[in-house]
Amino acid sequence: MNLFKYRVRTLFKYKDLVKELVGRDLKLKYRRSFLGYVWSVLNPLLIMIVLTLVFSQMFRRDIKNFPVYFLTGRTMYDFLKNSTTSAMKSVTGNSALLRKVYVPKYIFTLAKVTSAMVDMVFSLGAMVIVMVATGAPFYWTALLFPIVVAQMYLFCCGLGFFLAQLNVFFRDIQHIYSAVLTAWLYLTPIMYPIERLGETLTIVVKGFNPLYYYVAQFRDLIYYGQFPGSRIFWGGWLIAFLTLGIGVWSFQRSKDKFILYI
Amino acid sequence: MENYVVDVKDLTIRFNLSNERVDNLKEYAIKLAKRELMFQEFLALKDVSLKVKKGEAWGLVGTNGSGKSTLLKTISGILKPYRGTVKTKGKIAPLIELGAGFDGNLTARENIFLNGMVLGHSRSFMEEHFDEIVEFANLKRFLDSPIKNFSSGMKARLGFSVATMVDPDILIVDEVLEVGDYQFRRKCNERMRQMLSGGTTLLFVSHNIENVKRLCDHALWLDKGVVRMAGPAEEVCDAYKQEQEQAIRERKEKRRAKLRAEGKKYDYLIVGAGLYGSVFARELTRSGKRCLVIDKREHIGGNVYTEDQDGIQVHKYGAHIFHTSNPQVWKYVNKLTEFNGYINAPVAVYKDELYNLPFNMNTFYEMWGLKTPKEVKERIAAQIADLSIETPRNLEEQALSLVGRDVYEKLVKGYTEKQWGRDCKDLPPFLIRRLPLRFTFDNNYFNDRYQGIPVGGYTKLVEKLLDNVDVMTGMDFFEYRKENAHMYDRVIYTGMIDEYFDYCLGHLEYRSLRFVTERLEEENYQGNAVINYTQREIPYTRVIEHKHFAPEEERENPKPFTVVSREYPREWEPGREPYYPVNDEKNNRLYEQYRALAEKEKNVRFGGRLGSYRYYDMDKVIEAALKDSDEELGRR
Repeated sequence: MNLFKYRVRTLFKYKDLVKELVGRDLKLKYRRSFLGYVWSVLNPLLIMIVLTLVFSQMFRRDIKNFPVYFLTGRTMYDFLKNSTTSAMKSVTGNSALLRKVYVPKYIFTLAKVTSAMVDMVFSLGAMVIVMVATGAPFYWTALLFPIVVAQMYLFCCGLGFFLAQLNVFFRDIQHIYSAVLTAWLYLTPIMYPIERLGETLTIVVKGFNPLYYYVAQFRDLIYYGQFPGSRIFWGGWLIAFLTLGIGVWSFQRSKDKFILYI
Repeated sequence: MENYVVDVKDLTIRFNLSNERVDNLKEYAIKLAKRELMFQEFLALKDVSLKVKKGEAWGLVGTNGSGKSTLLKTISGILKPYRGTVKTKGKIAPLIELGAGFDGNLTARENIFLNGMVLGHSRSFMEEHFDEIVEFANLKRFLDSPIKNFSSGMKARLGFSVATMVDPDILIVDEVLEVGDYQFRRKCNERMRQMLSGGTTLLFVSHNIENVKRLCDHALWLDKGVVRMAGPAEEVCDAYKQEQEQAIRERKEKRRAKLRAEGKKYDYLIVGAGLYGSVFARELTRSGKRCLVIDKREHIGGNVYTEDQDGIQVHKYGAHIFHTSNPQVWKYVNKLTEFNGYINAPVAVYKDELYNLPFNMNTFYEMWGLKTPKEVKERIAAQIADLSIETPRNLEEQALSLVGRDVYEKLVKGYTEKQWGRDCKDLPPFLIRRLPLRFTFDNNYFNDRYQGIPVGGYTKLVEKLLDNVDVMTGMDFFEYRKENAHMYDRVIYTGMIDEYFDYCLGHLEYRSLRFVTERLEEENYQGNAVINYTQREIPYTRVIEHKHFAPEEERENPKPFTVVSREYPREWEPGREPYYPVNDEKNNRLYEQYRALAEKEKNVRFGGRLGSYRYYDMDKVIEAALKDSDEELGRR
């Protein structure tokens, strides 16, 4: 209990640092670019337009309002991808600093996931624009989206911690993970309706693809205007906490050895 | 129970020194399969204990790799103990590297906040202290420019300000103060002392034993990860220094033994690998004599030595510009190495004014706006006439009667006073016989026909001179002579003549200099190789920016950094590096007496700047060496 208190206190002590690091990430990302933060919105918008042109023909009958369907999935996937890839490099990337000053190492990982989340929230602007443009209905359930974001955040933190510590010891995890991400993109119903996967694969994806839980919940709230089913809702929370637990545990276990490898 | 701020108990730190670092999965799997994943462990610290009370200042001494930095890093929490415990109380400010965690893309303002928070402060706390930090760092004007444009000195200043402005309980300093310019170092030392008297505990690592003695009351001596000694700073430092010197002696002994074992015998022993000794050695060797050149410094070249610092040739003992009107000498050196076409055109800074040197029409235009030689001559004559000095009683009057008030006050007075360390009024008039004035627009400092600097530095030239000669650096003549007197027949001695005779008639006097050299992360610091500072309040006389001596190199390989040296005059005392002989009457008389002794030394010839106690330009020293070697070989 004492240790827990201590941990909470250090986190509190460094909360301003997390804020500052997030601020730096966002600031530097768009410094010197003409449109600045607008890119957070514009980027998904442009990708959406391209993909809509291609896929909406393909799934014309299965999906009504493809742009919104696609964006609800893509936003979640982008959050996962951006947060975990930058989290993975968070410890190794700050090696110069970590070798010279004592800073709790998880701060950097946390900051990366947080800035990805902030970025994601900005990009929701794109979705609103698309919904207005395509005349999609707005449901009150959409206001509940922070519930899904919270789950995603915990999940990404967990995965980020796990990848960050692994990357210290094995740098090739970066290459492996980028392949995993690609597979993950296609194994999640983002651009296609899940029914297209066939029976077996549908069961596998529905059961074992964590991202499916979040995409499905998010879609329920925004696209279908209904409250998510209890299986994916509670499953989502369970997976989030489980992943966070594994991530924190693996990070804790090896964090004292980082300094020898970075 | 005593109250310790830092309590280190039986600390052991282990590093994994496996020959190759295994950081990818394939290798890991292969090594695992072959059972090669052995850990070659290395204990950086072994059972180290250290107890520090509040307000104490501890210095850590030891050779490279003795574990000093490891200990500091463990205390500041960066490394974790393998065995043992480390307990600390209070806020720690680690100055292991100044500005660690600066982000080059952010502005100074943003970096101050970021850096403060990395050190664990809250935003409101930083806001409170922001002004204080900026003030100490003295960077107000640059607050909003990205820090990547800062010089290393500016970054260090900022880092130090952030780290120390927060009144830490424990300050950990790891050699960071060895960078930065002199003024900044002084400011840092002052601040550290101020903090110490305010109850801050200090842990300090430095290779400079004197610094440790000055700042610390206690010291810990680490040797290969083990505590050799801990206690009062004075005692520990002295013991450490003694052992260091012992180690150096042993190294030299080994070298000597090796040479003895080889059993070579030389015709000549040449003492001093400077220009005189090297030219002499070349001439003797070319005539079939076997020579050994020794030098007590660790390098050849004497004072013309240039050191390669990442492609910049640094004139370690002051600016050397080769100039001569003697075609033979010019031909001689050009056969050895290529010279560039450098022409020395120094600039003088007086307050916020800038003047070309030597005193020429450009200078006078800058000073008075006068454009023709006639106007200038009239102006100077009028200024001299105003003073109506008949027989100058001191250097000031002498100079005034030569160049008039304006030139004297702005360009001569402060500079001369700095050089001699006393007022111009207290200096004898004969020090300045003439102050040449040039009534043409010509900034070339020298009047000689040929001028230049060897491409690639003087060391290259000297290396060429010593091509086929045995050389031993780091070897003192008097040490060498003790056991190797049978190794040579004759000696060419270019060291201090009074030292040769063990100062039996007293010390000859010299003027000395001190150079403070630093590397700056900017491409061009002052735009000229030599800038003189003629104000007395500025403690240095000249700033040399070495890359400008080699414009051809810079054109070919532009460098984003530069190396500058500040030249501080200082009183000479026995033991200090002698630069310029003081050829006044008293010293010249003493030299003549030594000269008489030298005549009686049958097998020794004295020569060079120190051996013949006179100031030599480089061309003159080569001339002298050529002449003397001819004489030595009976060619004349």
